[in-house]
Amino acid sequence: MEDTPRLNFMWHLVWDFRAELLRGLLTAFEVAITALILSLFVGLLFALMKMSRFAIWRGIASTYINIFRGIPALVSVVWVYFGWSLLFGYNFTVYQAGVIALTLLYSSFFAEIFRSALEAVHKGQREAGQALGMSRLRIFRSVVMPQALKIAIPNIGSMYIGMIKDTSTFTVIGLAELVFVMQSINAEYFQPFVLFTAAAGLYVAAAFLVDFVFRIVEGGFSYPKVGRVKRFLTRRKRAQIQRLVDAN
Amino acid sequence: MFARRTTRKTLATLHSQLIPAYASIPLYMSALISLRGIRKSFGTSEVLHGINLDVYPGSHTVIFGPSGSGKSTVLRSMNLLEEPTEGSVIFEGVEYGPGFPGAATARGKKIELRRQVGMVFQQFNLFPHLSAIDNIALSVHAVTGKSKDEALERAAQELKNVGLLKWAMNYPAQLSGGQQQRVAIARALSLDPKLMLFDEPTSALDPELVGEVLAVMRQFAETGMTMVVVTHEMGFAKEIGDQCIFMDQGYIADSGGADFFDTCTNKRTKEFIGSVL
Ligand SMILES: Nc1ncnc2c1ncn2[C@@H]1O[C@H](COP(=O)(O)OP(=O)(O)OP(=O)(O)O)[C@@H](O)[C@H]1O
Ligand SMILES: [Mg+2]
Repeated sequence: MEDTPRLNFMWHLVWDFRAELLRGLLTAFEVAITALILSLFVGLLFALMKMSRFAIWRGIASTYINIFRGIPALVSVVWVYFGWSLLFGYNFTVYQAGVIALTLLYSSFFAEIFRSALEAVHKGQREAGQALGMSRLRIFRSVVMPQALKIAIPNIGSMYIGMIKDTSTFTVIGLAELVFVMQSINAEYFQPFVLFTAAAGLYVAAAFLVDFVFRIVEGGFSYPKVGRVKRFLTRRKRAQIQRLVDAN
Repeated sequence: MFARRTTRKTLATLHSQLIPAYASIPLYMSALISLRGIRKSFGTSEVLHGINLDVYPGSHTVIFGPSGSGKSTVLRSMNLLEEPTEGSVIFEGVEYGPGFPGAATARGKKIELRRQVGMVFQQFNLFPHLSAIDNIALSVHAVTGKSKDEALERAAQELKNVGLLKWAMNYPAQLSGGQQQRVAIARALSLDPKLMLFDEPTSALDPELVGEVLAVMRQFAETGMTMVVVTHEMGFAKEIGDQCIFMDQGYIADSGGADFFDTCTNKRTKEFIGSVL
């Protein structure tokens, strides 16, 4: 009974290394947000290809989506970081490799999200645009896309949380994100329970933050417009319309 | 000169003999839009079996008939929202659509036709993410290339014409069905169309809201707007229709002029009118 090891949780480590931990979290955010922006564009492109009239485009898109949807982040980043330099003799920085790996994976998810969102827009909307004589690009840009984005945004938010979590696997290539920082502190103090509990807490906090931000963004895309931010941004337009109403 | 007039008269006589409906329409006018041999198939089943129709400037054509008879498809082929399988749409002398096998002629672009033809849908199809005024302003800005400020001014005028200026900043979800349809009419009219198509504009409305939409349509009909209206509102059809078309099973089964509802003799037509009234 005397042998029972006394648990010694050094919770103060979390506070002592707060700057390093936050920097790790920030790196995770950064890699994920860069990859988010890129994969939104790539994803939209593949969504449009998948909806194309031409079978070749649809085939290319389906192949891409099915391949990259199935690859784990760890495998993807190792392949990009080490594989690419072996094959082509070009070395990406760890940051670049992380962004590319995430973009490859998540663009395939976004392609599916965008496709279903675009298909969910009522076909009468496109028809109304056509009947008015709008160009295809205009219908896409001003009629279909705003409505599809509104549908897609909650899903994009959850994907972004997934992207932040997936950066933790980039420890293997030495990206100084949160888990990497944790492990280096752990190597010195051997406090895995404390450090990984803290990591879990930070990831959850990050998820709450992302959720909060995406709710605001979603508010901006919803109609009728809700939220103070939106009212503030549209106040000049509303004043202009009010003048027109009063003048007529 | 003389020879020419003779030709025209002969044609006119022929014309009215072939299609008695046109006897009441002044023949020196050329049609604004003509459908020639429009056929349409969905998959293997043909739903329009060669439709010929002329719509004259300033006239009001009403199309009625049982469900599934092809009324919407005829209307939608007028702005090529439904691309015919065969046949031509001739608008102000320019030929659109696929035409006929073997007969290669220069064809107008769909978008050019659509910019001259307005359409109002049964389900309104307003853009739900834009306010009433922006629904109109977007169309004006996108199609005519007017600046956004000019487009808003035009939109305000159009809303005023349908009595909805006060509701300019409301979103479609914040408007009644009748109001939404009036905005949709204003949106179509804001592009100065030469022809307006209405596909059962009041069918999706609660009965008490039908009147306000018909009133707006009547108002524009009286200004001489050329209109083609698919409707089950027989009272309204009788009132504004000066070319009446009865469709059945993909054919124009019967047609006539302004007095069609009182004078038609076709048994099937009478039955149908009887069942709707
Ligand atoms: N997109 C489509 N795909 C397949 N069949 C269609 C399509 N649109 C219409 N049809 C068929 O074409 C025929 C004519 O349809 P249309 O909508 O023109 O009839 P309608 O006279 O307008 O009927 P309603 O009074 O119900 O609106 C119907 O049999 C319908 O099932
Ligand atoms: Mg119909």
